[in-house]
Amino acid sequence: MKIAAIAGSNANHSYNRMLLEFIAKDLRDTDDVDVIDIRKVPLFNENYKGKTPEVVADIDRRVAAADAVIIASPEYNHSITSALKSMIEWLSYELHPLENKPVMIIGASTHEQGSSRSQVQLRDILISPGVNAHVFQGEEFFMSNVADMIDEDGNITDEGTISFLNKCISEFKPYAEAINGMVAKKEAADN
Amino acid sequence: MKILALVGTNANFSYNRILLRFMKKHFKQMADIEIYEISKLPAFSVDVPLEEQTEVWKLKQKVKEADGVVFSTPEYDHGIPSALKSAIEWLSYHTEVLKHKPVMVVGVSYGRQASARSQVQMRQILISPDCDANLLPGNEVLIGGASRVFSKDGRLINADMRDNLEKCFTNFVEYIQVFQNIDEEEVKMPIKRPTISDAYINFPTGRMTLKEVQQIFSTIPFEIDLVDSSDRFAWYSDKPNREHVRNVASLNEPITECHPPKAVPIVTKIINSFRDGEKDVVTRPLWMHGHRSLIQYYALRDIDGHYLGTIEFTGNVEYILNLFENGAWGDKPDATTGASNNGANEEGNTTAVVDASTGASQSSSDDNAAPSAPAEDGNDDADASTGASESGSVDADDESADATTGASQN
Repeated sequence: MKIAAIAGSNANHSYNRMLLEFIAKDLRDTDDVDVIDIRKVPLFNENYKGKTPEVVADIDRRVAAADAVIIASPEYNHSITSALKSMIEWLSYELHPLENKPVMIIGASTHEQGSSRSQVQLRDILISPGVNAHVFQGEEFFMSNVADMIDEDGNITDEGTISFLNKCISEFKPYAEAINGMVAKKEAADN
Repeated sequence: MKILALVGTNANFSYNRILLRFMKKHFKQMADIEIYEISKLPAFSVDVPLEEQTEVWKLKQKVKEADGVVFSTPEYDHGIPSALKSAIEWLSYHTEVLKHKPVMVVGVSYGRQASARSQVQMRQILISPDCDANLLPGNEVLIGGASRVFSKDGRLINADMRDNLEKCFTNFVEYIQVFQNIDEEEVKMPIKRPTISDAYINFPTGRMTLKEVQQIFSTIPFEIDLVDSSDRFAWYSDKPNREHVRNVASLNEPITECHPPKAVPIVTKIINSFRDGEKDVVTRPLWMHGHRSLIQYYALRDIDGHYLGTIEFTGNVEYILNLFENGAWGDKPDATTGASNNGANEEGNTTAVVDASTGASQSSSDDNAAPSAPAEDGNDDADASTGASESGSVDADDESADATTGASQN
């Protein structure tokens, strides 16, 4: 299964990006993970109508090519980062690669809450009609106190966290397959 | 009353901008509303260099000066636009400009929902601890069907919506006044908690907080000890890795108790020479813990010369000496022209300036050094201490004493 993994921060040092890179490199059962870095994405602006920046078009192609999407969200002010919101606005304006796409939300933060509030908000945004993604509703992966959980080489140091992450992804994959099957069937019927 | 109103989008055309323009005009007798365009701001990132944050700084100043802030938000994907979120991130990152600032949320959309969901989100964000704004509760300004309820010249022509806006904005102005009339003391007395807020020490040359004072003493590469005018050990700077390890248990002890007996006569002699006005500084170069250190005792005097105490100033000077030995200062610049001719390090175009703060006392430390100082200084910018320190200001009497008893100084 091909997974596009969007890191929801534009900070040069981002635990959420490290988390996705860990999934891409080290997690079992994840064969093909494309980690998407949003640092170069400009702030969304409606004035760009008809002039989608190339960096956005590139991400659109990578998301569209994936069977499923994982988004790792930090939390700023009890909400998702402006950088991630901007990315989603680009992907729900003239391009719609997230439409009908199975998405799993995960997140890490340096505090106790582990980005839980931003994840709730991100879910709301992803299921709004402009985005219209299918958000996985099983497990919730909140990584608290992440500074103590990921070492400098990007390895998760806690075995329990790794096995839970494995569990989440292994439950997400059949969900994604089911959604993709349903969508394909519906598209075939519409044609 | 000054109100800052942020247009919650960076789009060229926005009904939220039209609403704020209408409010500015409609409420001109009640408040002075300044409309701010967030499109001027860079996209928030913790990695944006400071020199690219001028516009952010300007916005923070405006927020500080405003009595209240109005946010007018559209709705993108059930949420506030990323451009507005970015502005809020700037206003809550390493700053407290929104803390306790009265704020109000309004919004316009084309559809019936009237940005209701993004307004809920906006309210949640504004009361998160990072913002900690005083949010006007209730008072929902939900303007849907934008293209029908505004006239072509930007007036809100729907009477119900206009009445509601008038009621809500009036409540906002009253809400602001509630906070302006709060007496801080009345609020805090019931909690029975003494506080010193905004405690600054105001010096003639600027102000510092208590914390800044403490941390300056912990940061400068010299340690300081204070013996007060009654010859008691009054204070020492909390510097890490001190040459002289001090303990709070010694505080307030007379100098005869807190020094090793062998050192007491020397210390007493120095302090008495300060109290008598015979000397102002005594300098002792020493080997301590295997490196070269410099101890300087200074008479601490009031501006009228009255003796306040003695400070002991101790530092590892290995670093400075290495700089000197490696030719860091190069050759001495030409004093008559003030211009560099030998590639010597200079500050500006003047002769190398040594620390000015210790100049006065140091120049009188050594009878021989003092007269030489003015002669060394060819121009106004040079410092008196340059001359004194160059001549190796050492108190001859104490030098011999230290050479033998140095170890006992601790």
